[in-house]
Amino acid sequence: MAFSCMRCSAGAGAGAVRRGAAATRAPAALSFVRCGLRRPAAAAAAKGVKAAMDAGVENPVRSAAPSKVENGLPSEITLDDFEDLNPLSENDESTVTITVVGASGDLAKKKIFPALFALYYEDCLPKHFTIFGYARSKMTDAELRNMVSRTLTCRIDKRENCNEKMEEFLKRCFYHSGQYDSEEHFRDLDKKLKQHEGSRVSNRLFYLSIPPNIFLDVVKCASVSASSVNGWTRVIVEKPFGRDSDSSAALTRGLKQYLVEDQIFRIDHYLGKELVENLSVLRFSNLVFEPLWSRQYIRNVQLIFSEDFGTEGRGGYFDRYGIIRDIMQNHLLQILALFAMETPISLEAEDIRNEKVKVLRSMKPLQLDDVVIGQYKSHTKGGTTYPGYIDDKTVPKDSLTPTFAAAALFINNARWDGVPFLMKAGKALHTKGAEIRVQFRHVPGNLYKRSFGTDLDTATNELVIRVQPDEAIYLKINNKIPGLGMRLDRSKLNLHYAARYSKEIPDAYERLLLDAIEGERRLFIRSDELDAAWELFTPLLKELEEKRIAPELYPYGSRGPVGAHYLAAKYNVRWGDLTTEHKA
Amino acid sequence: MAATGLRFRPGTVFPSHAANPSTQPYHHCSPQRMHAAKGRCRLKAQSSNGRPQISASSFRDVVIDGRQSEDGAPEQGGATVSITVVGASGDLAKKKIFPALFALFYEDCLPEHFTVFGYARSKMSDEELRNMISLTLTCRIDQRENCSDKMEQFLKRCFYQSGQYNSEEGFSELDRKLREKEAGKLPNRLFYLSIPPNIFVDVVRSASRTASSSSGWTRFIVEKPFGRDSESSGELTRSLKKYLDEEQIFRIDHYLGKELVENLSVLRFSNLVFEPLWSRNYIRNVQLIFSEDFGTEGRGGYFDNYGIIRDIMQNHLLQILALFAMETPVSLAAEDIRNEKVKVLRSMRKLRLDDVVVGQYKGHSKGGKSYPAYVDDPTVPSGSITPTFAAAAVFIDNARWDGVPFLMKAGKALHTRRAEIRVQFRRVPGNLYRRNIGADLDKATNELVLRVQPDEAIYLKINNKVPGLGMRLDSSELNLLYSERYRREIPDAYERLLLDAMEGERRLFIRSDELDAAWAIFTPVLRELEERRVAPELYPYGSRGPVGAHYLAANYNVRWGDISSDT
Repeated sequence: MAFSCMRCSAGAGAGAVRRGAAATRAPAALSFVRCGLRRPAAAAAAKGVKAAMDAGVENPVRSAAPSKVENGLPSEITLDDFEDLNPLSENDESTVTITVVGASGDLAKKKIFPALFALYYEDCLPKHFTIFGYARSKMTDAELRNMVSRTLTCRIDKRENCNEKMEEFLKRCFYHSGQYDSEEHFRDLDKKLKQHEGSRVSNRLFYLSIPPNIFLDVVKCASVSASSVNGWTRVIVEKPFGRDSDSSAALTRGLKQYLVEDQIFRIDHYLGKELVENLSVLRFSNLVFEPLWSRQYIRNVQLIFSEDFGTEGRGGYFDRYGIIRDIMQNHLLQILALFAMETPISLEAEDIRNEKVKVLRSMKPLQLDDVVIGQYKSHTKGGTTYPGYIDDKTVPKDSLTPTFAAAALFINNARWDGVPFLMKAGKALHTKGAEIRVQFRHVPGNLYKRSFGTDLDTATNELVIRVQPDEAIYLKINNKIPGLGMRLDRSKLNLHYAARYSKEIPDAYERLLLDAIEGERRLFIRSDELDAAWELFTPLLKELEEKRIAPELYPYGSRGPVGAHYLAAKYNVRWGDLTTEHKA
Repeated sequence: MAATGLRFRPGTVFPSHAANPSTQPYHHCSPQRMHAAKGRCRLKAQSSNGRPQISASSFRDVVIDGRQSEDGAPEQGGATVSITVVGASGDLAKKKIFPALFALFYEDCLPEHFTVFGYARSKMSDEELRNMISLTLTCRIDQRENCSDKMEQFLKRCFYQSGQYNSEEGFSELDRKLREKEAGKLPNRLFYLSIPPNIFVDVVRSASRTASSSSGWTRFIVEKPFGRDSESSGELTRSLKKYLDEEQIFRIDHYLGKELVENLSVLRFSNLVFEPLWSRNYIRNVQLIFSEDFGTEGRGGYFDNYGIIRDIMQNHLLQILALFAMETPVSLAAEDIRNEKVKVLRSMRKLRLDDVVVGQYKGHSKGGKSYPAYVDDPTVPSGSITPTFAAAAVFIDNARWDGVPFLMKAGKALHTRRAEIRVQFRRVPGNLYRRNIGADLDKATNELVLRVQPDEAIYLKINNKVPGLGMRLDSSELNLLYSERYRREIPDAYERLLLDAMEGERRLFIRSDELDAAWAIFTPVLRELEERRVAPELYPYGSRGPVGAHYLAANYNVRWGDISSDT
């Protein structure tokens, strides 16, 4: 199909430029292929790297295969401005080193190394790159490679030379053992890095895949003893970013002792999801959605996250945070901000993040009345017994930590005044998925009202963006059931990704790692964003803990506590995912 | 399942008849039957995903508002309806009318007492008529059960009467036979005129004088052509009105009976997301496209007299346009809708010659097979300049549509067969993604397509991101393909329209003032084309039509949505 091209493409021989390099020129500069040009960007170290999204994206090999044309229009929207195609020769002289701190951890094994390999396979990494694992345990390079190799896979559509590629990739992987708080050990790492970097401009990315209590130690040691001297040094930090406003601010202050804002990449992997990325495209590149995007037409918005498993013996970390901190305050709130923000001036990171902060700051801090919390209890079904949350050995017996929460939030600005934004997140539910549901108002003066019965709100339009699994976008519309009568029916105008796009959708970590390497900050959370996000949740979290509010228990594998329905009912909302008609 | 909704349900109260719910027109809607059969007309909804979209309980009132049954609504059980097909041996009667009547019968949509009469000049026995009809009857794919039984029963109700079209004698004979069948019940009579236009008035005169129902209603369904221009149409209307009231005249435009045309109003008025976009603020242009992939094939005699503009544009496409563009009617009652349609038609500019492109197909050889030109048809004069293709740009000078080009295109012997409405939206102002779209922002606009036939579908073209690490935009479709969602066969337009005529529902029939307004738009240009003997642009049989259509579109900064490799 016509979708062979991507951000990364092996055949970018036409001489595409690194984005960062291009961006230092005119804003019109396009790196028309994001990857696949084995030329690392020295200039990418420059500040103010251009936003990814204004980078045009076009596959040069595409000209060989004519694009599918729909409706007389090229179905792939192509670029016509290809200036800046001259490669920058000095780019050949730079290198990137990615150091995964906490290399033996779960996330590193399951997500980070595989994502790096996928980027490598797709020619998205610079020609010169090195990967270092850093952790306390003693391990040889070969042992690390062994460990990494077990989780590497090639995409279904890219099996070709898979083993060979893995081999080459593993050759670039090294290990260094050391304490997390030892400057000396990081100095040793620095020495090794220098060996690999040679005389090239060195860019260094540290991925901190470690518990939050040692964030600062590592940042301190790494920045003091292992920063790049002539290139950039960036640090990717994973959640949790504190437990509340105070601890988060303390963490930020700590980081900023050693790093400037531009070096900090707070990752929220939900922002790397394909359909979250697509949210802005839908809103801002289609005429038909934006006129509807306000309180005038939208009745409520629902952000729903569910997992169909519990903590499963790994509740130690979770119990300290709970579902509100783990999912709502970051993932769902970030999606909400993207959904609700005003049109940014451009697609550049700072412009987008400015708009997101404005949304967050327009929101009311969450009230206890507007929250329902739950915790799963054990449940026996078909002979299998599923454990309750407190049956988890890593969880204290009397834990009140919520594994489920529903909340109603409001944005007090001109666009959204009075529109409830309902969030719901839970573990051990009957289904797994993440989706955004937009329920529209009823048609004023509906001519067909007799066809709907008394509750016009049950037959309103609904736009659903299913983030995972089984990515899809659909709009529920009313139409006539074919036949001689006049019966109305709700059908979907549907775009099912699996049906339209046969290629595998890249993992969120791939996108985010690549962005960090390229200095694209759009999908990372800025310090002021984080502060604003905590401010919304901190008072509530404190109150929940101080009052020791007991969660409503719900059976493992159920639809969650019924309290969520009453919360919704309070705002005249009906959860779109829990109706009889909805079956995922 | 939400399967029991019905167009008519006893006990449903129409606003206009709230005081008198007993005016429910037909017996077949009896509750017993509804429970027995799956609804009056077996409106069995089948969602492809097997779930009811709106629960049955919300369908208490599933009825079109404003169903009229004002004239002669009988007491239940005491009424009968006779359908007389005048011109029973003709092609339309055989192919469409009798099969549609049978389908209605199969679906329990006909009243319990009904009689079907064929009337024509040729001598034929009842048996011969039944024989002839039975050749074209079919059961729907999903309703094969008892098919032969049902056919048998249906044919038993079919009779034949031969007579001249201008003879009152023939029709009084028919009247006698009808009375016999009606057997003292309240008689309602429907005449379907499936005859050439030159004898419309004769038949109407004779039939109305001698075979009108004495106590029930008498209605006449008339098929196009309704004249050739404003004058002849006005003349025809005046003649019809000598014998009939406006309420008795049912001018049929079978395109209005198509499922997706019916759905057009539902889409507009029962969804919040479309109506805000439905104006010059957001819509750049609207395209109404009709194409056939065959020519006149030896039957060009009638066509040559009319041409594609009269045959398709002035009626079918213009009617769809009016439905598309009308303001929200006060209610769904026929007169309210027709009032709004007339307003649209009367707001339209008269079509100018500059805004029309005409074409005619020529012979073409492809793969060893050669396809004849229009003028090769032996029934067509060899010097004919009758257009078999036309494209036109029309404008509605009202507040909603000022400046929005409505492009129509209709043709025979083209590369494809289809009818569709395409709505092209404006581009996004200040599009953030303009760099991803290239120089022509109009190439990446949203488009709503209603495909009327074949393969009924609704889809909205949207821009989205191609999955992957980059930021490439792609135009994909939010799609509703009817055949995937609704497994039942979609009824033929004639079924709906016949049923409507029997029920006195005039919504889908053309009122006299609508017809006048429609002719007023086209008559000047038709006359000019003929007076100046404007030669049509020739295009090969099976091609995409004359390129002139593109230049016409280009004049208004429009690009035809249908001509591309994909659709």
